[in-house]
Amino acid sequence: MNEVCFKTLDQKKSWSLKTYEANGGYSVWRKILKGELTPDQIIDELKTSGLRGRGGAGFPTGLKWSFMPRNADVQKYVVCNSDEGEPGTCKDRDILRYNPHSVIEGMAIGSFVMNATKGYNYIRGEFMEPFYRFEGALKEAYDAGLLGENLDGSSVSFDLYAHLGAGAYICGEETALLESLEGKKGQPRFKPPFPANIGLFGMPTTINNTESFASVPEILAQGGQWFADIGVENSGGCKLFSVTGHVNEPANFEVPMGIPFKDLLEMAGGIREGRTLKAVIPGGSSTPVLTADAAMAMTMDYDGIEKAGSMLGAGSVIIMDDTTCMVEALTRLAHFYYDESCGQCTPCREGTGWLYRVLKRIMDGNGKADDIDLLLGVQDKIIGNTICALGDAAAMPVESFLRNFRQEFEYYIEHGKSMVKG
Amino acid sequence: MAKIEIEIDGKLVNARAGEMLIAVTDRESISVPRFCYHKKLSISANCRMCLVDVEGAPKPQPACSTPIADGMKIHTQNEKAKASQKAVMEFLLINHPLDCPICDQGGECELQDVAMDYGSDVSRFTEGKRIVADSDIGALIQTDMTRCIHCTRCVRFGAEIAGIMEMGGTGRGEDMKIEPFLTEGIQSELSGNMIDVCPVGALTSKPFRYELRSWQMNSMSNIARHDLVGSNIYTQTYKGKVKRIVARDNDDTNETWISDRDRFSYEGLAHENRLLAPQIKVEGEWKEVEWNVALDFATRGLGNSVLNNHQSDQLGALASNTATLEEFHLLQKILRELGSENIDHRLNVKNLNSPIALDSNVKLVNLENMDHALIIGSYTRLEQPMVNHRLRKASLKGATVDVINAMEFDFNYSINSENIIAPNKVVATLAGVLKVVLESKQQELPDYLTSVKTDDVITELAEKLLAEGQSVIVLGEHVINNDSAASIANLITNIAKQTKSSTLNLSASGNSMAANLSGFVPGKGGLDVNAMLESELKAYILLDVYPHYDFHHSIKAIDALNKDGAFIISLNSFKDKDVANYSDVMLPISCFYETSGSHVNIEGEIQSFTASVSAPSDTKPAWKVLKVLADLLELPGFHYADSAQVTSEITHQSHKSHVHDENIDLTTKQGIQIIWQKSPYAVDALSRHAISLQATKIGQMNSASMNKATAKKLEMTQGDEYLGVPAIISETVANNCVFVNANRSTQAGGQS
Repeated sequence: MNEVCFKTLDQKKSWSLKTYEANGGYSVWRKILKGELTPDQIIDELKTSGLRGRGGAGFPTGLKWSFMPRNADVQKYVVCNSDEGEPGTCKDRDILRYNPHSVIEGMAIGSFVMNATKGYNYIRGEFMEPFYRFEGALKEAYDAGLLGENLDGSSVSFDLYAHLGAGAYICGEETALLESLEGKKGQPRFKPPFPANIGLFGMPTTINNTESFASVPEILAQGGQWFADIGVENSGGCKLFSVTGHVNEPANFEVPMGIPFKDLLEMAGGIREGRTLKAVIPGGSSTPVLTADAAMAMTMDYDGIEKAGSMLGAGSVIIMDDTTCMVEALTRLAHFYYDESCGQCTPCREGTGWLYRVLKRIMDGNGKADDIDLLLGVQDKIIGNTICALGDAAAMPVESFLRNFRQEFEYYIEHGKSMVKG
Repeated sequence: MAKIEIEIDGKLVNARAGEMLIAVTDRESISVPRFCYHKKLSISANCRMCLVDVEGAPKPQPACSTPIADGMKIHTQNEKAKASQKAVMEFLLINHPLDCPICDQGGECELQDVAMDYGSDVSRFTEGKRIVADSDIGALIQTDMTRCIHCTRCVRFGAEIAGIMEMGGTGRGEDMKIEPFLTEGIQSELSGNMIDVCPVGALTSKPFRYELRSWQMNSMSNIARHDLVGSNIYTQTYKGKVKRIVARDNDDTNETWISDRDRFSYEGLAHENRLLAPQIKVEGEWKEVEWNVALDFATRGLGNSVLNNHQSDQLGALASNTATLEEFHLLQKILRELGSENIDHRLNVKNLNSPIALDSNVKLVNLENMDHALIIGSYTRLEQPMVNHRLRKASLKGATVDVINAMEFDFNYSINSENIIAPNKVVATLAGVLKVVLESKQQELPDYLTSVKTDDVITELAEKLLAEGQSVIVLGEHVINNDSAASIANLITNIAKQTKSSTLNLSASGNSMAANLSGFVPGKGGLDVNAMLESELKAYILLDVYPHYDFHHSIKAIDALNKDGAFIISLNSFKDKDVANYSDVMLPISCFYETSGSHVNIEGEIQSFTASVSAPSDTKPAWKVLKVLADLLELPGFHYADSAQVTSEITHQSHKSHVHDENIDLTTKQGIQIIWQKSPYAVDALSRHAISLQATKIGQMNSASMNKATAKKLEMTQGDEYLGVPAIISETVANNCVFVNANRSTQAGGQS
């Protein structure tokens, strides 16, 4: 536990350069500056490690880095996505608070691999403390000569800036993030073109999640195989899981991939006040909800969670006990997506409001018999038809809540009150 | 790009790699519904209406933003594609009012049309619909933003074409509103195009509001004559009235856009100030009479005043630049048949001693490929909007633009160097540029250049023209106020020759190219307009002349025309106090879109048009009036059945090349220089009578701008009346210079 991103967690001033270096930090970066590592070696190690994008999509990081036109004669950028906004997710915040140098080193390594000399860390607008921690770490790194131009007399240069967002969930979508970073309204771009070809300011750009970058230095220090061996087949390494909701000790846990869900639940102190588990959203609010039985049987890795009927996402495990009214929970989620839809494309702009209003009407006691079919129909029309994944994210919970807890919705519609709360 | 083959709905289609799918389906006439896509705007892919099924892709793909690749198989109509299209349609309609019967867009609404194919009969949406509050965005565009479907065409139009991002999307999600960022309303001179691009009834024409349904009107091709482009338009008419004007595609002239002036000036046609009946002055009183009486009166008047005494050199003809090619031709033909060469249309040019002789030798479409432009004396954006549009496109492609003006203007592209100098310094600056150019080519300097001073600014202007790439030198309308206009034109010709630059002469607007083509200028021994007025001729035929606006020396002109003894025949489409004062007979002529004829644009392209509506009331097309007048005067060669025969006569005649005075004189007058310009929406009588246009900020432009130092010399303070217009003190004006933009008749008018 806590072997990679949280390696310094239990140490004094874990966020300081001193602590980071005492734990072997910047050793990989210094090797690069001495010319002892090539981009291809790094990409190979990452491929071996099985590291997959920790922001939610799970795209293999080594492969992503190999897509960048590193020899193109234009400015290239690396961007870190610290706009952690998915309900249930709180891991990147703690990386920035307790181990910011791992992100800096990870981004620096990325910049070297992709021949980008500039980087931005886009930090969620509400994250004031993490932002200042990261800024402090940047200053330390600059002062130590780890960032800047022609570092250590080499030809390697890397300038890194922190950028604070303005509080929009959509800016966690990588192309909306780029728009926002350019000073525009945060709205996703259609793809293709992908950021690797046309990204920030129209230039080739690689965007990775905070945890992905933070994992890179340790992977390269210990070797890709070491990391891969921590995890399981197809889900290399360890992963931060944010366990929240009706547990006794909600927290972030950095544990090996493939850990049984029930063990993770145990680590979080179990269900609060001795109640029983009712439902689990395993990967953040946009991933399908699972019943207790399905959750208790699953392992926490990409394939394990998929087998159980959901997605690993960002590893944001939301625990719901038997006092939870699923109609109310879904209504709250629907409101979130309705509120956070950027409004650019039709199905999401119009559909999220529709979903929320129907659910709200059911909650108000005005549900109609065909509302369940209506909700299923509307979510189905959003899925796959939007510019970015927010539409899917808004739709998927609706389908899974209705599939797994249909009787609660039917009860609410018929009786005008909650089956659970009365 | 490589030619490839793709399969659409089972049919093999040739295409170019990288083309967007929708471009291919459009070319192949395969119907794919869309709202946000517009061929002249950037792709936004936000409406999702054009989702189609691409084999191998897990999700449906938007045709507008899917680049095609060899062997791609696309289904636009299969179950998956249809399901997505119908889904999007349902979403678009849930918050749309569905009040088509009371919506102005009804009948020409893209949403309505597409809903017929993809919409459902019954709405499953039973929640409350979104309502959006409207704000007044000006006199031209009516908003009803509850109807908006957020396609952002208007936003992209502003940002990409108009060059002023006036509309934008504020707010998020369902609450996103398309609205102007500022409260002053829409300012762009191209704003009306937003109405054309809006697929729904969110943005509609305010002057046309609640007038008619599109299917009630006839749509006829016509040509707008307010500027040198001759934008292609459709006049939409109902029961003999022009009710609306929209753009007609022509990539050689106006692409898909038209200026607000071209779009909204038609309102003037129905103005109560139209001259509708022939009138003769009897013992100082105006009397409405039949046409034959008026024409008889006119011919007898001409006979008594000049013809019977063999004094045809005492007859003059003047015309404003709104006349058609055929009208210019017939009037000059009448004069020349009668033996007079006193013919002129350059009423607003200050110094006519030598003509402003500068060729235009660049096509509009090629303007966008220029690498550099030097604009001299023009606010192209408001004066020649569609020319400016091409220059803007060039600028967006990387061209540099230098400007020499008397005042800073708000160009909608970046200006490399903006040189603000008084008119009397232009000739010296250009002489300096020519000197640098000649020196760089190690050519001998003509005498007049030896003592010309150059500086860094002048050198940079020259170097830009000398640099590799294609340059154009644009001479604008402000030059007509310049005593050295002819020398300026000649200097430009020389600079252009030496630097292999193209030239564009925008110094005379409207249909002035037609006047030149038909020879509507003084012939050998003839008098120009200023000379005519000074020699107190005994008779005039005036074609659509409004003295306060049209003459540079308006006071002098009105005085001269009011002198006793001159017999004046006026052909006008609008009433005018001064015209009534000095004329003896007023013949009501039809206006734009009421007559057939031709416009000649800056490329020399003759664009002919037919009348969209018949002439109202007792008015007649001027070409017919002139033909009958010629018949009554028993002149030979006026047997025309229609205006096309006149056109054909013009195109078959040999055109005399004008003799240019190539003299360059660098001496200038000192003292305060005045540039007197009609404001952009006051260029002709029709625009001046278009009330909605006049209500816009551009329409209200009516000021004499000067800097503090000049104001002090003139003892002016802000708001004081200068030459009949309010003074504005602004440091954007060159020293010793007043820039007047007049939009209404004033007692001062232009001056010398």
